[in-house]
Amino acid sequence: MDTSETPVTTTPVEDKRVWKAGRLEPMPIRKLPDAPPSVHILGPTVFLVALGVGMGESYMWPRLVLLFGPEIRWLFLIGVTLQAVVMLEMARYAMATGESIFSGAARVFKPLMWFFFTVAILVYIWPGHLSAGAAAFEEITGIPWTVTAVTGLILVGVVFSLAKVIYNVLENLLSVLIGALVIGTAVIAAMVGSWADVVSTITGMFSIGYLPPEALSAAWFPVIVGACAFAGPSGMQQMWYTLHLRDSGAGMGAHIPRIRGLRHAGEEEAMPSRGFMFDTEDPAEMAKWRGWRRWVTFDALLLFWGITMLVTISFTVIAQAAARQNPGVRTAIQGDDREVALSAMADAVSSAGSSVLGVVFLGFIALIGLNATLGLFDSFSRGQADMTYNFVPGAKKLRMSHLYAGFLWGVIIFGILILLFGPADGPSGILDTLAFLSTFAMGAYCVTLLLVNNRMLPKPIRPRWWSNVIIGFGAVFYLGMLFYSLVAFGVVVG
Amino acid sequence: MVSRHSLELAVPGLVVGALAGVMAGGLTLFAGQPGGATFLALPLALFGGLYGMLLGHGPFRPGTFAPAGLLWLPAFPLSRLAQESVAATGALADGVLPFLAYQAMVSLGFAIGFLWLHERLMPSWLLRVRARGHNPRADRLLAHYVRSASA
Repeated sequence: MDTSETPVTTTPVEDKRVWKAGRLEPMPIRKLPDAPPSVHILGPTVFLVALGVGMGESYMWPRLVLLFGPEIRWLFLIGVTLQAVVMLEMARYAMATGESIFSGAARVFKPLMWFFFTVAILVYIWPGHLSAGAAAFEEITGIPWTVTAVTGLILVGVVFSLAKVIYNVLENLLSVLIGALVIGTAVIAAMVGSWADVVSTITGMFSIGYLPPEALSAAWFPVIVGACAFAGPSGMQQMWYTLHLRDSGAGMGAHIPRIRGLRHAGEEEAMPSRGFMFDTEDPAEMAKWRGWRRWVTFDALLLFWGITMLVTISFTVIAQAAARQNPGVRTAIQGDDREVALSAMADAVSSAGSSVLGVVFLGFIALIGLNATLGLFDSFSRGQADMTYNFVPGAKKLRMSHLYAGFLWGVIIFGILILLFGPADGPSGILDTLAFLSTFAMGAYCVTLLLVNNRMLPKPIRPRWWSNVIIGFGAVFYLGMLFYSLVAFGVVVG
Repeated sequence: MVSRHSLELAVPGLVVGALAGVMAGGLTLFAGQPGGATFLALPLALFGGLYGMLLGHGPFRPGTFAPAGLLWLPAFPLSRLAQESVAATGALADGVLPFLAYQAMVSLGFAIGFLWLHERLMPSWLLRVRARGHNPRADRLLAHYVRSASA
C-alpha cells in the first residue's frame, strides 16, 4: 500500500503538494475552511437522525421492554453509543478529505467498495420500509396504504428532481419534521408517562449483562440481534452520512461542488475525481481541524445520541403506560405482526388519554416513516451515484446530478412496480439473505473504518487507540451476534 | 416596560411554545377538559417568548443547547403544573414532587425540539423584522446568524 506518513512536498507552491492514499489518484493539499464559530445546533446529523429514528426506536425496543422488562435496554445503550462513535469516525474521513467512505474503501481495496455497492442495491431497492408509516396513515385516514406509498414515492421523486440544491431542500424539510417529532413525543410522554416509568426505563439501561433465559431462544434471540442492529442508524445509513457531510460543506467537503436536482443539473460545476487533504503539519490548520471535530462531536452527542435516546425512552414510556391500561397490548405485541402490535398500542394509548391521543401516536409512526423514506431514497441514490461516477469507466461523461436522478427514479419506479405487483419486502426466498446482508454490512463497515482511518489518513489526524478499540468492538458485536444466531439457532435476524 | 424591539424577538419562541402547548392541550381538550389547551399553550408560549428576548439581550447565545435546557428545566414542569392545577388529567395522583421530577426530565427532550424549531424560524423572522423597520437588537442577532451560516 502506497501510503505516505506525511504530505509529500514536491515544490513550495501549495497547489503542487499531494497526499498519497492507496493506489488511487493522490489528493491535492488545500486549505481547511474555518469551523463554525460556535457549537451550532444544525448540521448534517439531521439526516442521520431522520434515518436512525425509525422502527427500532418506536416499535422494536418498546416491544422488547414489554416482553423482557426495562433491564433489556442495556443492549440499546451499547448499540446507540457504539453508533455515536461510528458516526464520529465516519465524519473523520469525510471531513478530512471531502471524500465519501466508499471512496476511502476503494483506496484500501476496490472490491470492498463494490461489496457495499451490491449490498445497497440488494437491500434497499425493496419498498417494504414504507409499509409501517403508510399503514399507520391508513389507520388514521382510511386511505389504502399502497395508495399513500405510491403517492409518497412519486412526490419524493418530483421534489428531489425540481430542487435547485437537493441538500438544502432536504435539510429544511427534515428539520421541521424532526423538530415536530421531538416536541410531540416529549409532550405525549409528559402527558401519559410517570416518574416510575422513566426511572425503570433509564435504570434498565445500566443492567449490563441482563439476558433472561427466554431471550436466548430460537424465537427471540434473532429478534434481539435485529433490534441491536436497529438501535440508531442501521444497515448502510452511517456510510451515507459521509455523503451528507460532504454535500453540506463540512471540513474539506467545502472544496466539492454540491449535487443539484435534475432540473438544475446544467448549473452543476464539474465534480473532481478525488478529494483533498489539508496540511496536517501546519499548527493553524490543525487548530481548525480540532474546531471541526468539536462541532461534529456536539452533533454526535446531543443531536444523534440525545434525540435517539429521547424518542425511544418516550415511546417506551408510552408503551408501558399503554400496557398498564390495557393488558391486551402485551399479547398483541408478542405476535410477529408489526401493524397489529402498533394498532394495539395506539388503541391502548387512546384509552389512556383520548381517542385523539391514539391518532397522534399513529401520526408519529407515519411521520417517522416519512422521514425515513425521504432520507433513505435520497441517501441510496447519492451513494450509488457517488460510486458509479468515481469508479465506473465512462460514467464521468454524465454529471453527478444525472446519475443521482437515474438511481432515484430507478428505485422509485421499481418500488411502485413491486408495491403494485410484488412482495414489498423482497421475494420471501431471499428475505433471510437480505436481513443477513444488512447486519453484516454494519460489521463490515466497522472493519472498513479501521482500515481507512488508520491507513489512508496522515498520522496526526488518525483515530486515538480507544476509538479504534470501540470500533473493533463494534465489528465483533455485530458480526459475533449475527453468526452466533446463525450457528446456535439457525436463524439470521428477526 | 418591555419595548417593541424585545417583543419582536419573542415571536418565534412564542409560536413554537404555543404550537407545542396546543398539540398537547388538544389531547386534553378531547378528553373533556376544554381548559387544558389554553393552560398549557399559554405558559409554554410565554416561556418560549422569554427565550427569544434573552437571546436578543445577550445572556443566551443562539444555537447552543445549555441556555435552552436551563430555561426549560423549570419552565416546562411549571407549565405542566399550571395546566394540571386548572384542568387536571390525574397526573398528580402520585404527588407533586414525583410529577415535577418527571416533567423536568422530559423538559430536556422538549428543549432539544424547541431549540431545533426555534433555530429554523428565528433567522427568517429576523429578515422580516429588518424589512419592516429599524430594530438594532434584531439586526445584531441576524448578523450573528449570517456569520454562522457563512462559516
